[in-house]
Amino acid sequence: MKLFTHLLTGAGLALAVSLSAGAGSAEDIKIGYVTDLSGPLAGSYTPTWEGFELYMKAANDAGGFNGNKVSISLDDDGLRADRAVAAAKKQFEQEGVVGIFGLSLSSTQGPVLTETRKAGVPVATSFSAILDALPPAQPYTYSTGVVFEVAGEAIGHLAQRIVPNGKVVGMTFDSVGGRAAMRHNMEIARKLGYSWDEVIFPIRTSDFTPFAQTAAGMKPDIVVGHYGAGQNVGMIPALRAAGYMGPYIIASYGASEVTAEEAATLAGSPDNIYMVSRYVPGTADAPGLAALKAAAEKYGVSDPNSMHVTGWVLGMLAGAALEKCGADCTRDKLDAALASAEIDTQGLTGGPITMTAGDHYGPTYWGLYKWDGEQLVQEGDWLRRDAIEIPLQQ
Amino acid sequence: MSPVSPFLQRSHAERNRLLPEPYQRVLIPLLVVALLALPMLGNSYLIYLLNLTCLAVIGAVGLNLLTGYCGQVSLGHASFMAIGGFVTAIAGETFGLPFWLAVPASCLVGAAVGFLVGIPALRFRGIYLAIATLAMHYAIIYLLTSYQTHFEASATAGISVSSPSLAGYVLSDGYDWYYLLLAVAAATVLFGLNLTRTHCGRAWVAIRDRDISAATLGINVPAYKLRAFVVSAALAALAGSLGAYFHGIVTAEGYTLELAILYLAMVIIGGMGSVAGTVLGAAFMTLLPFAVDAVGGLLPSAWRLGTVIYGFQEGAIGVVIILFLLFEPRGLIEIFRRLADYFQRWPFRYRELQSGG
Amino acid sequence: MEILVSIAVLGMTYALVAAGIVLVYKASRVVNFAHGEIAIVCGYLFYSAGRLWPAEGFFPAFATTLLFSLACGVVIYLVLMRRLLGEPTFVAAMVTIALAIIFKAAIVVVWRSSNLGIPMGRQILLLYPDGGALRLIDLVTLATGALCFIGLGVFFRYARLGRQFRGAAENALLASQRQVDINLILSLAWAAAVFAAAIAGVLFGSRSMLSPQSTILGLSGLTAAMVGGLDSLRGALLGGFLVAGAIYLTARLIDPALSEAVPFIILLAVMAWKPWGLFGTREELDRV
Repeated sequence: MKLFTHLLTGAGLALAVSLSAGAGSAEDIKIGYVTDLSGPLAGSYTPTWEGFELYMKAANDAGGFNGNKVSISLDDDGLRADRAVAAAKKQFEQEGVVGIFGLSLSSTQGPVLTETRKAGVPVATSFSAILDALPPAQPYTYSTGVVFEVAGEAIGHLAQRIVPNGKVVGMTFDSVGGRAAMRHNMEIARKLGYSWDEVIFPIRTSDFTPFAQTAAGMKPDIVVGHYGAGQNVGMIPALRAAGYMGPYIIASYGASEVTAEEAATLAGSPDNIYMVSRYVPGTADAPGLAALKAAAEKYGVSDPNSMHVTGWVLGMLAGAALEKCGADCTRDKLDAALASAEIDTQGLTGGPITMTAGDHYGPTYWGLYKWDGEQLVQEGDWLRRDAIEIPLQQ
Repeated sequence: MSPVSPFLQRSHAERNRLLPEPYQRVLIPLLVVALLALPMLGNSYLIYLLNLTCLAVIGAVGLNLLTGYCGQVSLGHASFMAIGGFVTAIAGETFGLPFWLAVPASCLVGAAVGFLVGIPALRFRGIYLAIATLAMHYAIIYLLTSYQTHFEASATAGISVSSPSLAGYVLSDGYDWYYLLLAVAAATVLFGLNLTRTHCGRAWVAIRDRDISAATLGINVPAYKLRAFVVSAALAALAGSLGAYFHGIVTAEGYTLELAILYLAMVIIGGMGSVAGTVLGAAFMTLLPFAVDAVGGLLPSAWRLGTVIYGFQEGAIGVVIILFLLFEPRGLIEIFRRLADYFQRWPFRYRELQSGG
Repeated sequence: MEILVSIAVLGMTYALVAAGIVLVYKASRVVNFAHGEIAIVCGYLFYSAGRLWPAEGFFPAFATTLLFSLACGVVIYLVLMRRLLGEPTFVAAMVTIALAIIFKAAIVVVWRSSNLGIPMGRQILLLYPDGGALRLIDLVTLATGALCFIGLGVFFRYARLGRQFRGAAENALLASQRQVDINLILSLAWAAAVFAAAIAGVLFGSRSMLSPQSTILGLSGLTAAMVGGLDSLRGALLGGFLVAGAIYLTARLIDPALSEAVPFIILLAVMAWKPWGLFGTREELDRV
């Protein structure tokens, strides 16, 4: 069919054009953002990107950094490592970005980081983080996100505020990250005197009832879910239907208040649903949210949630580093700026984000939230975890 | 003086020529020279894309031999690649085998698994075979996932594979890889072409078209089917093994059913039963997401509806498969042949069997 | 008690998905690999339609999904499958795989990959003595599934169209010469199949949740259909329960992580013993 052949040629030409491209105003600061925008976890990564973009748009409106505006090159990796690497390469080799942000699931980050480190391109990841940013920090790698091991421990401690002792049942899906989080959660739980049991189920499961029933059958005093947003929406109603009405903690690897709301609606009752999150939900009382909400309203993002906040804070890190980098920002200068970043998060998390030469993650603050039927409300103070406390298992 | 028409073949040797048509004897060497000279352009993104394409070609040729020539529909290709990747990772990291040992070892293991899988597969045909291979895919991936989670405690999820060294020279650069992958891909294509030009290929085609008749002709159908499985699995393992070194990481989650479908699409879109077509198909499917990206990039920002455009990329593969199956079922190679025909017989509308002068 | 009901309900869901696959296979010898994706997309549609008109309860949602599924089935047949009638069935199967990819992409494009659940029928009816509860949706699933199977059974045995259907399935050429409209039969088959998928999707979404990953439902349904026999509705029912039972019992009693692989183990076992499934008709397996 002739039309068909023409279409093919057209696509081919477009590809050829993209290979020789390198557009954009000469004075713009170019940064790259690669994440999963169309794959299985797009539901969590897309709002994170939107938060980041909002920050940059607001910054551009205020005049940019050192007089230059930021232009972001966005690429989708569909949660595939090879596409992530290709996108990163295109960005730093052809488009000449000074830094890459975002990235998606931890299992796709390894190959990307290998390439970016070789090329000397600094990378700061959003909520998916790997151990590389923790001390001893790998070069060119930073993160404002959630490292499984740190999160697991934080949750272990915060669970105490809900139920002082008894039995903890941890649930995760069969992935290395989930298991790592569970391992650390378990260590802390045992140290604090809880008894521990766990349920590990296949990643691709569609029906949660048998696992929920198994967990309920263990007669837990508290259940913790170490998985992404979607599984929480399925598991909480299943647990309630299986007869477990006790407290449940959503571990926020991509879950936000939207997750809690959906789960509560399906479970039929908002009771006993908690979330541990590094960043505040969109309804919190933080001064930093004012700027986020203003930008959201201006650019048509409705109801920003904690995932937007996550992206926004990454934007704050990037922005501060770009500002520090100076008028003619190079990759090494940006790297140096990131390594000495000190960000006042204005209440978006429990404290400042501090990076040092050996620690590209910094101390983290975790909040315990309870779903009250309308929004997530913080219970108690932030819990601080210093990255140095994690024994590296390599 | 040379035989003027490829349709008129006067001897067995003539029939089995690698490059039967005159234009091919000019085009292919030119192509080889161009490919070798490409790194001089200095566009490393292009080289990276070509590397991905070469990796895809290696696996796709294997699948084409099994599905396109021998007619055995297999959805298990990704699992064979996974085996190749894992054996390489384990051999390289745990046992410290060097590159030039680990890769053949992976191929051998892949071949062995292909043999084991091929035996029960002899019982099935058609759609039942496809589903049996699907079940086998999940079984293998489950085993590898269990291995990965119980024996490898790395939080980056997966086994890291260090850069390979060939005779002391470390392959770390895209350009180094380019020459190696180009060579291996070319060797694979040659291997495939050779297999198809011999009795093996003819037997396979006979089995594909009507295996009962093939059996009555004296062809040992089970033996040839097994051979197809073994060859295809070995080539898939080769692709998986090289891919492991190339990407630097091996995870069981990376070898999905979608990957198997992608390879099947390469074979179908390229043209089943044509090794040259497979190369085209592999290039096409590898570059497709990037092309859709490029087209999306050309649209003005306001049109992109936020990130919705990325969903279209996912759907593009499906749309392309359907378009090809409906409108061009013989694949890209058919388009290419029509083009070649057009130029060869121009300005005439049809080709004569024997040319005048 | 809880276990039995759970297995029954899950089994019925899988059986419904399998029934759709069997309907299409019976009529045209094509295995529809897109069935799971279609089911989930219809579930999403139901959710959105319900949100669009919240005041009228679920009626608009039902109507929209019903119309959409029937239309979708007819369109799939008329636009795609009809053109492939002469080709080897492998080609048709590839087209359904491509359809699966497209439907899955639709979830990303239209619903932004969000994870949703249909808030219907989740009220608790009675509590079990050893924990857990029976919900309205469990009963509705069982009832709907039973109705569907009975309806289909009656249709094929007694209705004129049903007998024509069986005739066309067995020998299309002969049937068409006896004035059976093959196009009508096949359109009907596809429409009914997509409708069954929609029902399964809605029931599933009401009981569990909808996400891009829920499409694994299709695979379970396919396994159930194969275990029971690709052209047997009875087989679909039995297969659904078998697969559900295996997954459940493995998850609860042996090892939750193994429950994903169990359907395939069963499938391989059944195929080794009876390649055509437990109730399938023995056919010459050389139709590629």
